[in-house]
Amino acid sequence: MEQRLANTWQMTVNERKFIEMALAADLRVDDRGPFDYRPCTITFGRHFSFTNRVGGSSEVQLGETRVMSYVTSQLVQPYRDRPNEGTLSIFTEFSPMADPAFEAGRPGEFAIELGRIVDRGLRESGAVDMESLCVVVGKLVWSIRVDLHILDNGGNLIDAANIAALASLLTFRRPECTLGGDDNHELIIHDIEDREPLPLIIHHLPVAVTFAVFGEGNIMVIDPSYKEESVMGGRMTITMNSNGDICAVQKAGIGISSSVIIRCLEICAVKAAEITSKINHAMESFNDGRSIQYPNFHPVDVAIQDNLPDVIMDKKQIENLIGHLAALPLDALDRNSNKSGAVVVGTNTRAKFENNQARDGVPFYSPSNWDPYPRKLCSRLARSSLKLSGLPEDVEEDKVNTTQSVTVECGLEHTKGASSSRALETPSEYTTVEATSQYIKAPKTLKDAVKIQNRKMRK
Amino acid sequence: MAPMEVDRADGRTSNQLRPLSCTRNVLHRAHGSARWSQGDTIVLAAVFGPKAGTKKEENPEKASIEVIWKPKTGLIGKVEKEYEMILKRTLQSVCLLTIHPNTTTSVIVQVVGDDDRPELSLIQLEVQMIIKNNSSIIRAFLALRITHVMGLRTPQLLPCAINASCAALADAGIPLKYLAVAICCGLTGSRSVILDPTKIEEKVFSYSCMLYLLVDYFNCLDRGYAACAKISEFLRRSMESQAPSDLTKTT
Repeated sequence: MEQRLANTWQMTVNERKFIEMALAADLRVDDRGPFDYRPCTITFGRHFSFTNRVGGSSEVQLGETRVMSYVTSQLVQPYRDRPNEGTLSIFTEFSPMADPAFEAGRPGEFAIELGRIVDRGLRESGAVDMESLCVVVGKLVWSIRVDLHILDNGGNLIDAANIAALASLLTFRRPECTLGGDDNHELIIHDIEDREPLPLIIHHLPVAVTFAVFGEGNIMVIDPSYKEESVMGGRMTITMNSNGDICAVQKAGIGISSSVIIRCLEICAVKAAEITSKINHAMESFNDGRSIQYPNFHPVDVAIQDNLPDVIMDKKQIENLIGHLAALPLDALDRNSNKSGAVVVGTNTRAKFENNQARDGVPFYSPSNWDPYPRKLCSRLARSSLKLSGLPEDVEEDKVNTTQSVTVECGLEHTKGASSSRALETPSEYTTVEATSQYIKAPKTLKDAVKIQNRKMRK
Repeated sequence: MAPMEVDRADGRTSNQLRPLSCTRNVLHRAHGSARWSQGDTIVLAAVFGPKAGTKKEENPEKASIEVIWKPKTGLIGKVEKEYEMILKRTLQSVCLLTIHPNTTTSVIVQVVGDDDRPELSLIQLEVQMIIKNNSSIIRAFLALRITHVMGLRTPQLLPCAINASCAALADAGIPLKYLAVAICCGLTGSRSVILDPTKIEEKVFSYSCMLYLLVDYFNCLDRGYAACAKISEFLRRSMESQAPSDLTKTT
């Protein structure tokens, strides 16, 4: 494996000295204050997907560090000494994509340490309520498994992983199960369609704050970047909640005096409160988005009509709708990666599609009329505004046909966007009788939707 | 045989693909990275450019490609090893291996979303096709994988991963012969071909369809051909939009 070592990144002596000298003068290389966090973004699962109902999937970007967390649950037998408690287990995956030094397969020392720190913060501080996970005492309990995938190592993995684990646990929903059957001994796990899944009971949020120690144990900075981590002399992680309770402390490296530690605890209290509010804020916007998408469960039948005149939502209407749907968590990468261009086949490339229509009969599917879970209403309305792609093409006809098929939803959106600007304030509007009645009978044409608009405008 | 229009659960016709999305240069440490999503199936691929040395069993006169597949949850098992093997062979035919002999390029694939629903069912037959394009001329397919999948959970992950890895390789600047794209075609019990099936749709496939006719097979190929042309167009366009300002990361 010498070849592997040869490929790992080594810090140059110049860089090391530069960072040390800068820190001695109270400056950080990336122009942050010594107690400033890098910008942190928390995103959840994907929209329009099953995981949006069950939750449990989150991705945290802390500066250059990116961690993904995924929560699953399973019914198992409890441990013998704790027959009425569920179990929580944390698995950390140091993916080789994060750092060439990480090897696939066996977790290294640091991976195990990170897993333990996150685990200690969550389990031993009693953050997640274990007793509520019990189904049948001594026989069946819920086992919650958290998988942390480190995707990009930009420094300070512990904090990022902790935030990711918290975010995913907060949004996770487990299926409801009741005891039923003839003699009340049969366990029924309800499908999420039948009964709303339940969230975990989380008493408090233990947030980890990592300090890096430099020099002789007197220089401390928060949230070290990757380069600072390779220069640092020691590290201390304090897990605290917003009430000021210390959940866990982990320290490694050179010795620090106790006065410095007390000072760090004080700073940590402030930072923990900040991060907790950030997590809660992200949670709220996610939950708002979720409640808008799944207000009720009317089965919907929408037919796709071919050869209809094109209804094009112009840029302004799209922007209106997108602005209104700002509550929904947008595609993380569209906002976060400054370097990348999130190329989604959007409306501005539609011109190209029109040219390519005749060539082959394989159409792109417009997200406005694609629904993986067709029993739900109005998630489509939300979806179609975020990514408008090329419109579906007619498969059967080979002739050059410039008309493109559009679904009823586009039309409805068109009317909504044009007529009212109060699209999102009352989510129930989407499911008013006026709207649903259009959907129930099939097949509807675009003309019906347009007619309604005329009626509205005449009023 | 006239193709029957199958009513799919999510409202697509049998020829329609799910919405595609491709983002490149997502990660900072990796030399090249891409995130590819087809509907709810999302895959993140990262490439670490040519590193010195090859493994013992590899040919040192050529570059070798190492694939690591990371599932969303759980331990790495046989399924993941199979994916790794298929992906490795595909990428070996795509890359120009003679340019950097005695090096290893690592491709790491992480499943971010896999269209996960609890009601899984077995699928009996699936044809995955990998079709290479050379500029605007569609060449004959070079690699064909037919997988009789019994109990393999997510057949549509592999095409998604192939697309993502190809985009990531291009992002890293690894020399490629062509851009590869992949599509998953399913054959239903009523012998009609549906493109880009999702997990839920596997319920449609009947158990009795273990033997399939040659005619169906070619039917699958034709449909897949056309679909791949579309996808490769999309891939090209997404790369071109970034090309002028993009700086390659290979040393």
